[in-house]
Amino acid sequence: MSSGDNAVRELIYRSCRCLDTHDFDGYIALCAPAFRYRIVVYSPELRKEMIWLNHDRDGLAALLAAVPRHLARLGSLQRNATVYAIERDGNGGPARAVSAFSVFDIDNEGRPSVFAVGHYHDAVDEGGARPLLVARDVRLASRDLGIGSHVPI
Amino acid sequence: MPSRSAATWEAPPPLPDGHYVSGRVYRDERMFAEERERIFKKVWHFVCHESEVAEAFDFRTVERADTPLIVVRGGDGRVRAFVNVCSHRGARVAMEPGGNARSFTCFYHHWTYDTEGACVSMPRPEGYRGTPVRKENMGLREVRTEVKWGFVFVNLDDDCAPLDRFLDGALDIFDRVLPDADLEVFHYHRAEIDANWKAYQETIVDLYHEFMHVILRDTQMPAASMDDREMRTYANGHVTIAGLKADYEKYEGWRRRDHSTCLPGLDPDDARFAPLFPAQTFIARGTVMRVDTVQPITPHKCLIESRGLGLKGESPEDRAMRIDHHNEYWGPFGRNVTEDAFAAEGCELSFGKGAAPHGIIARDEDGRGQCDSGLRGFWAEWSRRMGRPASHPTND
Repeated sequence: MSSGDNAVRELIYRSCRCLDTHDFDGYIALCAPAFRYRIVVYSPELRKEMIWLNHDRDGLAALLAAVPRHLARLGSLQRNATVYAIERDGNGGPARAVSAFSVFDIDNEGRPSVFAVGHYHDAVDEGGARPLLVARDVRLASRDLGIGSHVPI
Repeated sequence: MPSRSAATWEAPPPLPDGHYVSGRVYRDERMFAEERERIFKKVWHFVCHESEVAEAFDFRTVERADTPLIVVRGGDGRVRAFVNVCSHRGARVAMEPGGNARSFTCFYHHWTYDTEGACVSMPRPEGYRGTPVRKENMGLREVRTEVKWGFVFVNLDDDCAPLDRFLDGALDIFDRVLPDADLEVFHYHRAEIDANWKAYQETIVDLYHEFMHVILRDTQMPAASMDDREMRTYANGHVTIAGLKADYEKYEGWRRRDHSTCLPGLDPDDARFAPLFPAQTFIARGTVMRVDTVQPITPHKCLIESRGLGLKGESPEDRAMRIDHHNEYWGPFGRNVTEDAFAAEGCELSFGKGAAPHGIIARDEDGRGQCDSGLRGFWAEWSRRMGRPASHPTND
Protein backbone atom coordinates (compact mmCIF):
# COMPACT_ATOMS: atom_id res chain seq x y z
CA MET A 1 0.00 0.00 0.00
CA SER A 2 1.57 3.28 -1.14
CA SER A 3 1.65 6.51 0.83
CA GLY A 4 -0.44 7.96 -1.98
CA ASP A 5 -3.10 5.35 -1.39
CA ASN A 6 -3.06 6.12 2.31
CA ALA A 7 -3.52 9.83 1.61
CA VAL A 8 -6.49 9.11 -0.64
CA ARG A 9 -8.05 6.89 2.02
CA GLU A 10 -7.51 9.53 4.66
CA LEU A 11 -9.14 12.14 2.41
CA ILE A 12 -12.24 9.99 1.91
CA TYR A 13 -12.57 9.12 5.59
CA ARG A 14 -12.09 12.75 6.57
CA SER A 15 -14.83 13.81 4.15
CA CYS A 16 -17.21 11.44 5.97
CA ARG A 17 -16.21 12.74 9.36
CA CYS A 18 -16.68 16.36 8.25
CA LEU A 19 -20.28 15.67 7.18
CA ASP A 20 -20.96 13.62 10.32
CA THR A 21 -19.91 16.51 12.53
CA HIS A 22 -21.39 19.27 10.32
CA ASP A 23 -17.91 20.69 9.74
CA PHE A 24 -19.00 21.99 6.35
CA ASP A 25 -16.09 24.41 5.90
CA GLY A 26 -13.80 21.48 6.56
CA TYR A 27 -15.59 19.43 3.91
CA ILE A 28 -15.36 22.15 1.28
CA ALA A 29 -11.65 22.56 2.08
CA LEU A 30 -11.18 18.95 0.91
CA CYS A 31 -12.60 19.82 -2.52
CA ALA A 32 -10.67 21.20 -5.52
CA PRO A 33 -12.02 24.38 -7.20
CA ALA A 34 -13.40 22.26 -10.05
CA PHE A 35 -15.18 19.88 -7.66
CA ARG A 36 -18.43 18.31 -8.83
CA TYR A 37 -20.78 16.49 -6.47
CA ARG A 38 -23.66 14.28 -7.59
CA ILE A 39 -26.04 11.82 -6.01
CA VAL A 40 -27.00 9.25 -8.65
CA VAL A 41 -29.72 6.63 -8.24
CA TYR A 42 -31.00 4.01 -10.65
CA SER A 43 -34.78 3.75 -10.73
CA PRO A 44 -36.10 0.30 -11.67
CA GLU A 45 -39.54 1.93 -11.84
CA LEU A 46 -38.49 4.37 -14.58
CA ARG A 47 -35.72 2.11 -15.87
CA LYS A 48 -33.34 5.02 -15.97
CA GLU A 49 -30.75 6.81 -13.87
CA MET A 50 -31.83 9.78 -11.80
CA ILE A 51 -29.86 12.70 -10.38
CA TRP A 52 -30.96 13.55 -6.85
CA LEU A 53 -28.34 16.25 -6.24
CA ASN A 54 -25.84 17.95 -8.53
CA HIS A 55 -23.61 20.82 -7.44
CA ASP A 56 -20.29 22.44 -8.19
CA ARG A 57 -18.08 23.46 -5.29
CA ASP A 58 -19.72 26.86 -4.82
CA GLY A 59 -23.22 25.44 -5.08
CA LEU A 60 -22.45 22.76 -2.53
CA ALA A 61 -20.85 25.32 -0.22
CA ALA A 62 -24.00 27.48 -0.40
CA LEU A 63 -26.21 24.48 0.26
CA LEU A 64 -24.15 23.42 3.27
CA ALA A 65 -23.97 26.96 4.63
CA ALA A 66 -27.77 27.11 4.66
CA VAL A 67 -28.21 23.85 6.60
CA PRO A 68 -28.23 25.49 10.07
CA ARG A 69 -31.14 27.73 9.00
CA HIS A 70 -33.33 24.74 8.17
CA LEU A 71 -35.56 22.60 10.30
CA ALA A 72 -33.14 19.82 11.19
CA ARG A 73 -33.84 16.13 11.47
CA LEU A 74 -33.32 14.97 15.03
CA GLY A 75 -30.23 13.03 16.02
CA SER A 76 -27.37 12.58 13.60
CA LEU A 77 -26.19 10.72 10.53
CA GLN A 78 -23.00 8.69 10.92
CA ARG A 79 -21.11 7.53 7.83
CA ASN A 80 -19.09 4.34 7.70
CA ALA A 81 -16.95 3.96 4.57
CA THR A 82 -14.53 1.36 3.33
CA VAL A 83 -12.25 2.16 0.41
CA TYR A 84 -12.34 -0.81 -1.94
CA ALA A 85 -10.06 0.21 -4.78
CA ILE A 86 -7.75 3.03 -5.83
CA GLU A 87 -6.62 3.15 -9.44
CA ARG A 88 -4.42 5.49 -11.47
CA ASP A 89 -4.17 5.76 -15.25
CA GLY A 90 -0.41 6.39 -15.16
CA ASN A 91 -0.74 9.59 -17.19
CA GLY A 92 -1.06 12.01 -14.29
CA GLY A 93 -4.84 12.01 -14.28
CA PRO A 94 -6.80 11.97 -11.06
CA ALA A 95 -6.77 8.84 -8.93
CA ARG A 96 -10.06 6.95 -9.02
CA ALA A 97 -11.35 5.49 -5.76
CA VAL A 98 -14.39 3.36 -5.10
CA SER A 99 -15.67 3.07 -1.52
CA ALA A 100 -18.64 1.30 -0.03
CA PHE A 101 -20.53 3.30 2.54
CA SER A 102 -23.39 2.90 4.92
CA VAL A 103 -25.02 5.80 6.73
CA PHE A 104 -26.66 5.22 10.08
CA ASP A 105 -29.40 7.43 11.42
CA ILE A 106 -28.93 7.81 15.18
CA ASP A 107 -32.11 9.28 16.64
CA ASN A 108 -32.38 11.50 19.70
CA GLU A 109 -32.72 8.47 21.97
CA GLY A 110 -29.56 6.95 20.50
CA ARG A 111 -31.37 4.28 18.48
CA PRO A 112 -29.57 3.41 15.23
CA SER A 113 -31.16 2.53 11.93
CA VAL A 114 -29.76 2.32 8.45
CA PHE A 115 -30.39 5.53 6.51
CA ALA A 116 -28.61 4.76 3.23
CA VAL A 117 -26.23 2.33 1.56
CA GLY A 118 -24.19 2.84 -1.58
CA HIS A 119 -20.80 3.61 -3.08
CA TYR A 120 -18.66 6.69 -3.46
CA HIS A 121 -16.98 7.00 -6.85
CA ASP A 122 -14.32 9.64 -6.27
CA ALA A 123 -11.79 11.38 -8.48
CA VAL A 124 -8.84 12.71 -6.49
CA ASP A 125 -6.24 15.26 -7.62
CA GLU A 126 -2.86 14.23 -6.20
CA GLY A 127 -0.89 17.00 -7.91
CA GLY A 128 -0.78 19.46 -5.02
CA ALA A 129 0.56 19.54 -1.50
CA ARG A 130 -2.33 17.35 -0.39
CA PRO A 131 -4.92 15.32 -2.30
CA LEU A 132 -8.23 17.03 -3.09
CA LEU A 133 -11.57 15.70 -4.28
CA VAL A 134 -12.23 16.66 -7.91
CA ALA A 135 -15.47 14.76 -8.26
CA ARG A 136 -17.71 12.62 -6.09
CA ASP A 137 -20.54 10.53 -7.46
CA VAL A 138 -22.60 9.10 -4.64
CA ARG A 139 -24.26 6.03 -6.12
CA LEU A 140 -27.08 5.08 -3.82
CA ALA A 141 -28.21 1.47 -3.64
CA SER A 142 -31.01 2.31 -1.20
CA ARG A 143 -33.81 4.49 -2.54
CA ASP A 144 -36.22 4.97 0.35
CA LEU A 145 -34.58 7.52 2.64
CA GLY A 146 -37.57 8.22 4.88
CA ILE A 147 -37.88 11.92 5.52
CA GLY A 148 -34.62 12.54 3.64
CA SER A 149 -31.79 14.86 4.66
CA HIS A 150 -30.63 18.42 4.13
CA VAL A 151 -27.04 17.25 4.45
CA PRO A 152 -25.65 15.30 1.50
CA ILE A 153 -24.26 11.82 1.90
CA MET B 1 -54.95 33.28 29.98
CA PRO B 2 -52.53 31.02 31.85
CA SER B 3 -51.77 27.41 30.99
CA ARG B 4 -54.69 24.98 30.92
CA SER B 5 -55.91 22.18 33.16
CA ALA B 6 -56.49 18.61 31.96
CA ALA B 7 -60.21 19.32 31.65
CA THR B 8 -59.84 22.40 29.48
CA TRP B 9 -57.07 20.71 27.47
CA GLU B 10 -59.24 17.69 26.67
CA ALA B 11 -62.46 19.65 26.10
CA PRO B 12 -63.44 20.36 22.50
CA PRO B 13 -62.28 23.81 21.40
CA PRO B 14 -65.00 26.49 21.51
CA LEU B 15 -65.23 26.44 17.72
CA PRO B 16 -67.78 25.27 15.14
CA ASP B 17 -67.53 21.53 14.36
CA GLY B 18 -65.79 21.97 11.02
CA HIS B 19 -63.08 24.16 12.54
CA TYR B 20 -61.23 21.50 14.51
CA VAL B 21 -60.52 17.77 14.27
CA SER B 22 -60.29 15.13 16.94
CA GLY B 23 -56.87 13.60 17.53
CA ARG B 24 -58.53 10.16 17.29
CA VAL B 25 -58.75 10.42 13.52
CA TYR B 26 -54.97 10.00 13.36
CA ARG B 27 -54.66 6.86 15.48
CA ASP B 28 -57.90 4.87 15.69
CA GLU B 29 -57.44 1.37 14.20
CA ARG B 30 -61.13 0.94 13.34
CA MET B 31 -61.32 4.26 11.51
CA PHE B 32 -58.12 3.39 9.68
CA ALA B 33 -59.72 0.18 8.36
CA GLU B 34 -62.87 2.11 7.44
CA GLU B 35 -60.83 4.65 5.50
CA ARG B 36 -59.59 1.88 3.22
CA GLU B 37 -63.13 0.65 2.47
CA ARG B 38 -65.03 3.95 2.39
CA ILE B 39 -62.40 6.24 0.89
CA PHE B 40 -59.45 4.51 -0.76
CA LYS B 41 -61.50 1.79 -2.46
CA LYS B 42 -64.00 4.35 -3.74
CA VAL B 43 -61.97 7.25 -5.18
CA TRP B 44 -59.91 7.77 -8.31
CA HIS B 45 -56.18 7.37 -7.71
CA PHE B 46 -53.34 8.73 -9.79
CA VAL B 47 -51.08 5.72 -10.42
CA CYS B 48 -48.50 6.77 -13.00
CA HIS B 49 -47.81 9.02 -15.95
CA GLU B 50 -48.19 7.77 -19.51
CA SER B 51 -44.44 8.27 -20.06
CA GLU B 52 -43.83 5.43 -17.59
CA VAL B 53 -45.67 3.09 -19.96
CA ALA B 54 -44.74 4.86 -23.18
CA GLU B 55 -44.31 1.85 -25.47
CA ALA B 56 -46.60 -1.05 -26.22
CA PHE B 57 -46.30 -3.72 -23.50
CA ASP B 58 -44.60 -1.34 -21.01
CA PHE B 59 -45.92 -1.91 -17.52
CA ARG B 60 -45.69 -0.53 -13.99
CA THR B 61 -46.73 -2.20 -10.77
CA VAL B 62 -48.23 -0.06 -8.00
CA GLU B 63 -50.44 -0.49 -4.97
CA ARG B 64 -53.59 1.39 -4.01
CA ALA B 65 -55.89 0.62 -1.07
CA ASP B 66 -53.66 -2.35 -0.19
CA THR B 67 -54.44 -3.76 -3.63
CA PRO B 68 -51.49 -4.56 -5.93
CA LEU B 69 -52.03 -3.38 -9.49
CA ILE B 70 -50.42 -3.80 -12.91
CA VAL B 71 -50.73 -0.81 -15.23
CA VAL B 72 -49.88 -1.89 -18.76
CA ARG B 73 -50.07 -0.48 -22.26
CA GLY B 74 -51.49 -3.11 -24.55
CA GLY B 75 -50.48 -3.87 -28.09
CA ASP B 76 -53.46 -1.73 -29.15
CA GLY B 77 -51.95 1.30 -27.41
CA ARG B 78 -54.56 1.42 -24.66
CA VAL B 79 -53.53 1.69 -21.02
CA ARG B 80 -55.32 -0.76 -18.74
CA ALA B 81 -55.00 -1.72 -15.10
CA PHE B 82 -55.50 -5.10 -13.45
CA VAL B 83 -55.29 -6.41 -9.94
CA ASN B 84 -51.83 -7.96 -9.77
CA VAL B 85 -53.04 -11.25 -8.35
CA CYS B 86 -53.12 -14.60 -10.12
CA SER B 87 -56.64 -16.06 -10.49
CA HIS B 88 -55.31 -19.42 -9.39
CA ARG B 89 -53.72 -19.22 -5.92
CA GLY B 90 -53.33 -15.48 -5.28
CA ALA B 91 -49.65 -15.00 -6.00
CA ARG B 92 -48.36 -11.77 -7.51
CA VAL B 93 -48.31 -12.04 -11.29
CA ALA B 94 -45.81 -9.25 -11.99
CA MET B 95 -43.04 -8.88 -9.42
CA GLU B 96 -40.93 -6.10 -10.95
CA PRO B 97 -41.72 -2.39 -10.42
CA GLY B 98 -41.68 -1.84 -14.18
CA GLY B 99 -40.66 -3.34 -17.48
CA ASN B 100 -41.86 -4.46 -20.88
CA ALA B 101 -43.68 -7.76 -21.26
CA ARG B 102 -46.06 -9.21 -23.85
CA SER B 103 -47.45 -11.51 -21.21
CA PHE B 104 -47.26 -12.10 -17.47
CA THR B 105 -46.54 -15.58 -16.19
CA CYS B 106 -47.23 -16.28 -12.54
CA PHE B 107 -44.05 -17.67 -10.98
CA TYR B 108 -45.99 -20.17 -8.86
CA HIS B 109 -47.82 -22.47 -11.33
CA HIS B 110 -47.08 -20.68 -14.61
CA TRP B 111 -50.56 -19.45 -15.44
CA THR B 112 -50.01 -16.81 -18.11
CA TYR B 113 -51.99 -13.63 -18.89
CA ASP B 114 -51.79 -11.28 -21.83
CA THR B 115 -51.72 -7.47 -21.59
CA GLU B 116 -55.50 -7.32 -21.93
CA GLY B 117 -55.93 -9.46 -18.82
CA ALA B 118 -56.95 -12.70 -20.52
CA CYS B 119 -55.58 -15.96 -19.16
CA VAL B 120 -53.91 -17.41 -22.24
CA SER B 121 -52.42 -20.58 -20.85
CA MET B 122 -52.31 -22.83 -17.83
CA PRO B 123 -50.14 -25.94 -17.61
CA ARG B 124 -51.93 -29.31 -17.82
CA PRO B 125 -55.48 -27.93 -18.06
CA GLU B 126 -56.91 -31.42 -18.34
CA GLY B 127 -56.57 -31.67 -14.58
CA TYR B 128 -59.59 -29.34 -14.31
CA ARG B 129 -61.87 -31.59 -16.37
CA GLY B 130 -65.40 -31.43 -15.05
CA THR B 131 -64.88 -28.08 -13.31
CA PRO B 132 -65.57 -24.52 -14.53
CA VAL B 133 -61.85 -23.73 -14.28
CA ARG B 134 -60.88 -22.97 -17.85
CA LYS B 135 -58.49 -20.31 -19.10
CA GLU B 136 -61.41 -18.59 -20.86
CA ASN B 137 -62.95 -17.54 -17.53
CA MET B 138 -59.81 -17.17 -15.42
CA GLY B 139 -58.69 -13.70 -16.57
CA LEU B 140 -57.24 -11.03 -14.30
CA ARG B 141 -59.57 -8.60 -12.56
CA GLU B 142 -59.62 -5.37 -14.58
CA VAL B 143 -59.85 -2.03 -12.78
CA ARG B 144 -61.52 1.15 -14.05
CA THR B 145 -58.83 3.23 -15.75
CA GLU B 146 -58.87 6.69 -17.33
CA VAL B 147 -56.09 8.88 -18.68
CA LYS B 148 -56.32 12.67 -18.38
CA TRP B 149 -53.62 14.86 -19.90
CA GLY B 150 -51.20 11.95 -19.71
CA PHE B 151 -51.92 11.12 -16.08
CA VAL B 152 -53.23 7.60 -15.49
CA PHE B 153 -55.94 7.21 -12.85
CA VAL B 154 -57.62 4.06 -11.57
CA ASN B 155 -60.64 3.37 -9.39
CA LEU B 156 -61.21 0.06 -7.60
CA ASP B 157 -64.97 0.67 -7.54
CA ASP B 158 -66.50 -0.73 -10.75
CA ASP B 159 -69.57 1.47 -10.19
CA CYS B 160 -67.72 4.75 -9.70
CA ALA B 161 -68.57 7.97 -11.51
CA PRO B 162 -66.26 9.04 -14.37
CA LEU B 163 -62.93 10.65 -13.47
CA ASP B 164 -63.95 14.13 -14.61
CA ARG B 165 -66.93 14.11 -12.30
CA PHE B 166 -64.66 13.11 -9.41
CA LEU B 167 -62.14 15.84 -10.26
CA ASP B 168 -64.89 18.48 -10.43
CA GLY B 169 -62.56 20.76 -12.40
CA ALA B 170 -59.80 20.81 -9.78
CA LEU B 171 -57.06 20.06 -12.33
CA ASP B 172 -58.25 22.93 -14.51
CA ILE B 173 -55.75 25.25 -12.82
CA PHE B 174 -53.29 23.44 -15.11
CA ASP B 175 -55.45 23.74 -18.23
CA ARG B 176 -52.95 26.12 -19.81
CA VAL B 177 -50.11 23.77 -18.87
CA LEU B 178 -50.97 20.12 -19.19
CA PRO B 179 -52.86 19.88 -22.50
CA ASP B 180 -49.94 21.55 -24.33
CA ALA B 181 -47.06 19.98 -22.43
CA ASP B 182 -45.70 16.64 -23.57
CA LEU B 183 -44.43 15.62 -20.16
CA GLU B 184 -42.08 12.90 -19.03
CA VAL B 185 -41.23 11.60 -15.55
CA PHE B 186 -37.55 12.06 -14.70
CA HIS B 187 -37.72 11.57 -10.95
CA TYR B 188 -39.36 8.90 -8.83
CA HIS B 189 -38.84 8.02 -5.22
CA ARG B 190 -40.74 6.41 -2.38
CA ALA B 191 -40.44 7.34 1.26
CA GLU B 192 -41.99 5.52 4.17
CA ILE B 193 -42.46 7.87 7.11
CA ASP B 194 -43.71 7.45 10.66
CA ALA B 195 -46.93 9.44 10.39
CA ASN B 196 -50.60 9.01 9.65
CA TRP B 197 -51.26 9.62 5.94
CA LYS B 198 -53.56 12.56 6.67
CA ALA B 199 -50.90 14.38 8.67
CA TYR B 200 -48.61 14.41 5.63
CA GLN B 201 -51.38 15.39 3.20
CA GLU B 202 -52.32 18.26 5.51
CA THR B 203 -48.86 19.80 5.06
CA ILE B 204 -49.73 20.33 1.39
CA VAL B 205 -53.02 22.12 2.08
CA ASP B 206 -51.91 24.06 5.17
CA LEU B 207 -50.44 27.35 3.88
CA TYR B 208 -50.06 28.69 7.42
CA HIS B 209 -47.08 26.36 7.86
CA GLU B 210 -45.01 28.41 5.39
CA PHE B 211 -43.29 29.85 8.46
CA MET B 212 -41.67 26.44 9.03
CA HIS B 213 -39.75 26.48 5.72
CA VAL B 214 -36.72 28.74 5.30
CA ILE B 215 -37.15 28.67 1.52
CA LEU B 216 -40.76 29.80 1.73
CA ARG B 217 -39.92 32.54 4.22
CA ASP B 218 -37.19 33.72 1.84
CA THR B 219 -38.78 33.23 -1.57
CA GLN B 220 -42.54 32.95 -1.27
CA MET B 221 -43.98 34.88 1.66
CA PRO B 222 -42.46 38.26 0.71
CA ALA B 223 -42.86 37.71 -3.06
CA ALA B 224 -46.39 38.97 -3.47
CA SER B 225 -49.32 40.13 -1.45
CA MET B 226 -51.04 37.34 0.41
CA ASP B 227 -54.25 38.68 -1.16
CA ASP B 228 -53.11 37.56 -4.63
CA ARG B 229 -53.48 33.95 -3.63
CA GLU B 230 -56.65 32.04 -4.15
CA MET B 231 -57.53 28.82 -2.37
CA ARG B 232 -60.58 27.09 -3.83
CA THR B 233 -62.37 24.04 -2.53
CA TYR B 234 -64.29 21.59 -4.71
CA ALA B 235 -67.19 19.22 -4.33
CA ASN B 236 -65.17 16.10 -3.55
CA GLY B 237 -62.70 17.55 -1.08
CA HIS B 238 -60.16 18.71 -3.65
CA VAL B 239 -58.39 22.02 -3.20
CA THR B 240 -56.53 24.30 -5.55
CA ILE B 241 -54.10 27.04 -4.65
CA ALA B 242 -53.12 29.53 -7.33
CA GLY B 243 -51.60 32.99 -7.33
CA LEU B 244 -48.59 31.92 -5.28
CA LYS B 245 -45.41 33.65 -6.44
CA ALA B 246 -41.79 32.86 -5.62
CA ASP B 247 -38.59 34.93 -6.03
CA TYR B 248 -36.20 31.98 -6.12
CA GLU B 249 -33.08 34.12 -6.19
CA LYS B 250 -33.89 35.36 -2.69
CA TYR B 251 -32.60 32.07 -1.30
CA GLU B 252 -28.80 32.14 -1.02
CA GLY B 253 -27.22 30.10 -3.81
CA TRP B 254 -30.33 29.87 -6.02
CA ARG B 255 -30.81 31.69 -9.31
CA ARG B 256 -33.78 33.37 -10.92
CA ARG B 257 -35.73 31.00 -13.17
CA ASP B 258 -35.67 31.78 -16.87
CA HIS B 259 -38.93 32.52 -18.67
CA SER B 260 -37.82 30.67 -21.81
CA THR B 261 -37.57 27.36 -19.99
CA CYS B 262 -40.93 27.47 -18.22
CA LEU B 263 -43.58 24.84 -18.72
CA PRO B 264 -46.23 26.00 -21.20
CA GLY B 265 -48.61 28.55 -19.73
CA LEU B 266 -46.51 29.25 -16.64
CA ASP B 267 -44.38 32.20 -15.59
CA PRO B 268 -41.06 31.55 -13.84
CA ASP B 269 -42.39 32.62 -10.46
CA ASP B 270 -45.75 30.81 -10.73
CA ALA B 271 -46.62 28.15 -8.19
CA ARG B 272 -49.87 26.21 -8.48
CA PHE B 273 -51.07 23.41 -6.26
CA ALA B 274 -53.92 20.95 -6.69
CA PRO B 275 -54.18 18.63 -3.68
CA LEU B 276 -56.79 16.05 -4.68
CA PHE B 277 -58.77 14.12 -2.11
CA PRO B 278 -57.74 12.02 -0.40
CA ALA B 279 -53.97 11.96 -0.81
CA GLN B 280 -52.57 13.02 -4.17
CA THR B 281 -51.08 16.34 -5.14
CA PHE B 282 -50.20 18.02 -8.42
CA ILE B 283 -47.78 20.96 -8.12
CA ALA B 284 -46.18 23.14 -10.78
CA ARG B 285 -43.43 25.65 -10.04
CA GLY B 286 -42.59 27.57 -13.23
CA THR B 287 -40.20 25.13 -14.84
CA VAL B 288 -41.04 21.83 -13.25
CA MET B 289 -43.90 19.72 -11.98
CA ARG B 290 -44.25 17.32 -9.07
CA VAL B 291 -46.95 14.74 -8.41
CA ASP B 292 -47.22 13.04 -5.02
CA THR B 293 -49.39 10.28 -3.68
CA VAL B 294 -49.65 9.11 -0.08
CA GLN B 295 -50.66 5.54 0.76
CA PRO B 296 -51.72 4.51 4.26
CA ILE B 297 -49.72 1.61 5.71
CA THR B 298 -50.87 1.65 9.33
CA PRO B 299 -52.45 4.46 11.38
CA HIS B 300 -48.87 5.43 12.20
CA LYS B 301 -47.07 4.89 8.89
CA CYS B 302 -47.56 5.99 5.32
CA LEU B 303 -45.80 5.72 2.00
CA ILE B 304 -45.14 8.83 -0.06
CA GLU B 305 -44.48 8.42 -3.78
CA SER B 306 -43.02 11.45 -5.56
CA ARG B 307 -42.52 12.11 -9.22
CA GLY B 308 -40.81 14.98 -11.01
CA LEU B 309 -41.80 15.83 -14.57
CA GLY B 310 -40.19 17.79 -17.37
CA LEU B 311 -40.75 18.14 -21.09
CA LYS B 312 -40.21 15.15 -23.32
CA GLY B 313 -37.53 15.63 -25.98
CA GLU B 314 -35.99 18.71 -24.39
CA SER B 315 -32.25 19.40 -24.66
CA PRO B 316 -29.89 17.82 -22.09
CA GLU B 317 -29.16 21.31 -20.77
CA ASP B 318 -32.85 22.10 -20.23
CA ARG B 319 -33.42 18.72 -18.61
CA ALA B 320 -30.46 19.25 -16.27
CA MET B 321 -31.85 22.67 -15.34
CA ARG B 322 -35.28 21.20 -14.66
CA ILE B 323 -33.81 18.43 -12.52
CA ASP B 324 -31.84 21.02 -10.53
CA HIS B 325 -35.00 23.09 -9.99
CA HIS B 326 -36.85 19.96 -8.89
CA ASN B 327 -34.11 18.95 -6.49
CA GLU B 328 -33.81 22.40 -4.96
CA TYR B 329 -37.26 22.00 -3.44
CA TRP B 330 -38.16 18.35 -3.68
CA GLY B 331 -36.65 14.88 -3.62
CA PRO B 332 -34.97 13.23 -0.60
CA PHE B 333 -32.33 15.99 -0.44
CA GLY B 334 -34.63 18.92 -1.28
CA ARG B 335 -35.08 21.87 1.03
CA ASN B 336 -38.86 21.51 1.30
CA VAL B 337 -40.18 17.95 1.33
CA THR B 338 -37.83 16.81 4.07
CA GLU B 339 -39.30 19.45 6.36
CA ASP B 340 -42.90 18.53 5.50
CA ALA B 341 -42.19 14.91 6.37
CA PHE B 342 -40.49 16.06 9.58
CA ALA B 343 -43.66 18.02 10.46
CA ALA B 344 -45.91 15.02 9.86
CA GLU B 345 -43.68 12.81 12.01
CA GLY B 346 -43.61 15.51 14.69
CA CYS B 347 -47.42 15.54 14.86
CA GLU B 348 -47.44 11.74 14.98
CA LEU B 349 -45.41 11.84 18.20
CA SER B 350 -48.40 13.44 19.94
CA PHE B 351 -51.50 12.51 17.90
CA GLY B 352 -50.29 8.93 17.53
CA LYS B 353 -50.24 8.38 21.28
CA GLY B 354 -53.26 10.44 22.21
CA ALA B 355 -51.37 13.34 23.76
CA ALA B 356 -52.94 15.87 21.40
CA PRO B 357 -56.74 15.81 21.76
CA HIS B 358 -57.54 18.18 18.89
CA GLY B 359 -56.16 20.02 15.91
CA ILE B 360 -57.42 23.51 15.09
CA ILE B 361 -58.24 24.48 11.49
CA ALA B 362 -60.07 27.74 12.17
CA ARG B 363 -58.11 30.36 10.18
CA ASP B 364 -60.45 32.36 7.98
CA GLU B 365 -58.94 34.71 5.39
CA ASP B 366 -61.72 34.40 2.82
CA GLY B 367 -59.84 31.74 0.86
CA ARG B 368 -56.71 33.87 0.55
CA GLY B 369 -53.44 34.34 2.40
CA GLN B 370 -53.01 31.50 4.85
CA CYS B 371 -56.66 30.50 5.12
CA ASP B 372 -57.61 27.07 6.49
CA SER B 373 -60.51 26.71 4.05
CA GLY B 374 -58.64 23.97 2.15
CA LEU B 375 -58.12 21.96 5.33
CA ARG B 376 -61.79 22.40 6.22
CA GLY B 377 -62.75 21.19 2.74
CA PHE B 378 -60.55 18.11 3.13
CA TRP B 379 -62.03 17.23 6.51
CA ALA B 380 -65.59 17.90 5.39
CA GLU B 381 -65.16 15.33 2.62
CA TRP B 382 -63.48 12.89 5.00
CA SER B 383 -66.42 13.29 7.40
CA ARG B 384 -68.98 12.80 4.61
CA ARG B 385 -67.39 9.63 3.29
CA MET B 386 -66.71 8.18 6.74
CA GLY B 387 -70.13 9.03 8.12
CA ARG B 388 -68.40 10.55 11.14
CA PRO B 389 -67.68 14.20 11.86
CA ALA B 390 -63.91 14.64 12.15
CA SER B 391 -64.42 16.90 15.16
CA HIS B 392 -66.06 14.13 17.24
CA PRO B 393 -65.80 10.87 15.28
CA THR B 394 -66.72 8.56 18.16
CA ASN B 395 -69.48 8.72 20.71
CA ASP B 396 -67.25 8.12 23.72
